[in-house]
Amino acid sequence: MAGALAGLRIVEVGEMVSAPYAAKLMADAGAEVIKVERPGIGDPARRRGPFAGDQPHPEKSGLFLYLNSNKLGVTLDIASARGFALLERMIRNADVLIHNLAPPEMDRIGLHFQRLSKANPKLIMTSILPFGLDGPYRDYRAANLTLWCAGGASYLNGSPQHPEKPPLSTFGQQAYYQGGAHAAVATMGALLAGLGDGAGQHVEVSVQEAVASILEMTFAFWPYVGMIASRLGQKPIQPLEVMKCKDGYIFICCIEEHQWHSFVELMGRPEWAAEEIFSDRLKRAAHWDALRPLLEEWVGGQSVHELYRQALERKIPFAPVSTMGDLLSAEHLKARGFFVELAHPQAGRYRYPGAPVKYSATPWEIRRPAPLLGQHNREVFVGQLELTETELAELDKSGVI
Amino acid sequence: MAAPPLKGIRVADFSWVWAGPYCTLQLAHMGAEVIRVETARRPCVTRMLPPWADEKFGLNRSGYFNQYNQGKRSITLNLKHPEGIAAARRLIEKSDVVAHNFVRGVMERFGLGYDDVKKLKPDIIMVALSGYGATGPLSSYISYGPAQVPLAGFSALTGYAGGPPMHTALSYADPNAGVHAAFAVLAALYHRRKTGQGQFIDASLWECAAALTTEGLLEYQMNHREPARRGNRDPWMAPHGVFRCKDLPEPIGGGVVDTWVSIAVADDDQWQRLCRAVGRPELASDPRFALASARKHNEDELEEIVTAWTAQRSPQEATKILQDAGVAAFTCAANKDLAEDSHLNRRRFFVELDHPEIGPRKHCGIPWRLSRNACRVQAPAPLLGQHTDEVLTRLLGYSAAELAKLREGGALN
Repeated sequence: MAGALAGLRIVEVGEMVSAPYAAKLMADAGAEVIKVERPGIGDPARRRGPFAGDQPHPEKSGLFLYLNSNKLGVTLDIASARGFALLERMIRNADVLIHNLAPPEMDRIGLHFQRLSKANPKLIMTSILPFGLDGPYRDYRAANLTLWCAGGASYLNGSPQHPEKPPLSTFGQQAYYQGGAHAAVATMGALLAGLGDGAGQHVEVSVQEAVASILEMTFAFWPYVGMIASRLGQKPIQPLEVMKCKDGYIFICCIEEHQWHSFVELMGRPEWAAEEIFSDRLKRAAHWDALRPLLEEWVGGQSVHELYRQALERKIPFAPVSTMGDLLSAEHLKARGFFVELAHPQAGRYRYPGAPVKYSATPWEIRRPAPLLGQHNREVFVGQLELTETELAELDKSGVI
Repeated sequence: MAAPPLKGIRVADFSWVWAGPYCTLQLAHMGAEVIRVETARRPCVTRMLPPWADEKFGLNRSGYFNQYNQGKRSITLNLKHPEGIAAARRLIEKSDVVAHNFVRGVMERFGLGYDDVKKLKPDIIMVALSGYGATGPLSSYISYGPAQVPLAGFSALTGYAGGPPMHTALSYADPNAGVHAAFAVLAALYHRRKTGQGQFIDASLWECAAALTTEGLLEYQMNHREPARRGNRDPWMAPHGVFRCKDLPEPIGGGVVDTWVSIAVADDDQWQRLCRAVGRPELASDPRFALASARKHNEDELEEIVTAWTAQRSPQEATKILQDAGVAAFTCAANKDLAEDSHLNRRRFFVELDHPEIGPRKHCGIPWRLSRNACRVQAPAPLLGQHTDEVLTRLLGYSAAELAKLREGGALN
């Protein structure tokens, strides 16, 4: 059985996370992805790590290895005229181009939809951009941190007990992951439309807007009630808090009232729990300063896994604060076959996160490890584009590939 | 412009709270007819949560619900009533996709599990989102997005240096699973168009989130250590942080006075640009800061220098000066900053449709644009049960008399 996207051909001109993640989602669902990297340097994710022994090595970066498994890799200087012509030839054979060159780079290279769609009128070109293709911030420089802030996510996180500490960003380039995941969705929309009439189009994704799309109820606080949702303000409902046990941390979480009542039972019905100020989730949020120390005292005497087990049995949705070691040894994830072990010729064997979503009829699968820099130049340029070996050698010598 | 890509696709949406509705929101944005099956006996949690327009509680007044259910329709069915189930089955027969985010076993007890709905509509695509997924030892336990953030490793990795693990504030696991599930549904629709075959999609909030902690998981395997929490700092870039700006002259929006700007200096060239922009050109060649490795080594001192400059300015002013110099910087935006942002407004990102109960309000719109297909928010979020009569009569073929009987018998509440 083949993956849902088997037969699709994608060219990725991607660096770091957003475009590579979008292309990975599609590759893992069966599409063939050819990743284009800069000759000699490659994707900056190769220099990002993590690295074994903290020793940087372009073929051993954990982030790169994860994001680029299942892809063929070529090197090509698309800023040169000959390089661009080769890219156009690749695009003639492809259904989709996914890239995350920022608008000033697109202008410099001439990577524009109008131009590329002449090479292939059916082409779907997906541009994942920090702030989109137009508007006053089109050419702004960006990094994951500045986009998590620009989309409004960082502002919400922090510690009311420590107002002097800054708004806190979430670990691990999440703005770019969201840009990539939303781009994969939008690209699928264009592909489905193309099945109808075979026409290509330009798909534009703004990372800032993707982040602003996932602000829960916090954005609405301004247009609905004129309130700024801040890391220092109270949460809409409580308890929803990380708390310390005697042997680690647990997340105390009651969404529905029956979950709170069950938690009160679990605590042995302490007297304070009957007080009016704690009688519903909104009141518990308003009186969190009073409730917090009471809960902390009780939770502090528990062990994480015993409390988690007891909570689950009572349908209270607590969760332990998992360490990386916890995740890699979690029985439940093992039973579902989540982690996938993959051997790479230079980096060796590691376990990577597997299918985020399981399909019953079309497999999610990893078919190959991430490419070495330029590993598939011959396969693609000679095998697919039908260049001669002499031409290949000449392109190599002149630095085009 | 051509019609949106999912025009003609119907989604029977039994999901609630945030993960499932975020999945089906993507489909609604693409033109699918998404019909939320709700119940008045237990309204969606998000209808019950603030903010309610003008601070007046009402099931149709929540900004949380209204943000994530734009463009959908709502019917109420009592799934504990046999006639309610019968109506749900008729809806599924006419649908292409069934979405839900119940824990394993709930839809099966309604007689609406995948094996059941496949008999009603052989090429149906069913997507089930849940905290733990549809299989495995924990699959019968309930969970929610906020709890899946720490469970997936985000809290252990997120926090101030030397401080305890922290949440992400957002219930990040919900929309993250929603967007991944939406991708899977679209891939399954693509497969169905080519082969005629439907399928079941099992999306676990835990796994969708854990997939995005890779840098931590690989660090642990490669170096046999749990990654240290490091606030807003980066392993390579410095300065890389969120810096205090000038306080507002008076508190706004419920008491906020502090403002912040984010700055990320990717390399030595950007550092030199920053030095010139903040009027400290001598720092560019200062051996404590000239190279990235030196800046990482002297990061406390570096951050003090940057803060001394940002603290004299508003975040917008600091952003402008740094961006003009080619340095990545941006206001750490609050909801008000977004709503008033000239860029987002110029791009028409926000949607302000007239809602029958609360009038026009600003909502976030669609974070992508398709150049050929007109994707737009089709309607404001539905009132609870707004489309019950219309869907049951026009789509499902109930007569007015049958409808009245269903209502009287309690099948529609």
